[in-house]
Amino acid sequence: MANSLTDECTPFKREYDSCFNAWFEGYLEPAVAASPEQRSKYSQEKAAEYERDCGKIWTQYRECVQKAVKDKGLDTLLEQARQENPLKEPPTIPKPDRT
Amino acid sequence: MHYFSQLFHYEHPWSHVVIGMWHKYPNPHCTHVQTIDVLDRSVDPQTGIIRTERVLGCKQKAPGWIVKFFGGSEDAFVREISFVNPATQEATITSVNLSLSQFATCYENIRYSPTTDGRTMFHQTAEIQARMALWRSAADKLENWLVQRFEQNAHLGKVGFTDVLRRLWEAKQQQLS
Repeated sequence: MANSLTDECTPFKREYDSCFNAWFEGYLEPAVAASPEQRSKYSQEKAAEYERDCGKIWTQYRECVQKAVKDKGLDTLLEQARQENPLKEPPTIPKPDRT
Repeated sequence: MHYFSQLFHYEHPWSHVVIGMWHKYPNPHCTHVQTIDVLDRSVDPQTGIIRTERVLGCKQKAPGWIVKFFGGSEDAFVREISFVNPATQEATITSVNLSLSQFATCYENIRYSPTTDGRTMFHQTAEIQARMALWRSAADKLENWLVQRFEQNAHLGKVGFTDVLRRLWEAKQQQLS
């Protein structure tokens, strides 16, 4: 796993990444296989599970990294980038000519 | 504006590639990526779409003239937003540079999608654009400042030399009289 912005946050980041990866690896294939009728129920359950399993370490990690972002002067650059392109929805990328 | 685009296939199913996305770094082939942090992540309880915002810290030795001219450093940061949609089996990653973004932007889009034969298609596009409008306004500002300074100095030069001449010739006049 790659390091965090500061050494201070790296242990939090490692623990959070491990938690997310373990969750994601269990999540993905059933999510792909889910029928449209099952999807909402499965997503709700899994979103709650993610919150339950990783919520605490995420809060600690986020607190640490938010401070690191500020200390490095990245907060204003990020704010500008978010204003310019919020990307709250997936981008529409033109399909390539051949598939 | 410069465009870049490439398309190829990974010999792995889509789900393996998408799980692999989070394990790409650190990577001995891409040592320029030094740090990765998740800034925001959400799991949509309706659609199951996962949105992740990350910041990547890269070390890239820039040519001396770039560092001198733009005041950059070896550390460069990138904002990355990804969406993983299990329903449509589409994963997209959008990246834009944070460092030196007042001068130029590098806007990259990646999409991973499954092929019918169980492989994964990778499609990458990038647009690289210098912010000419901003350069223009910066250049205009510099020009205006230079003009002002020149006018001020020209005025001060006139006042100063008038003084010198007056003192010089007043003194000579006094000597004569």
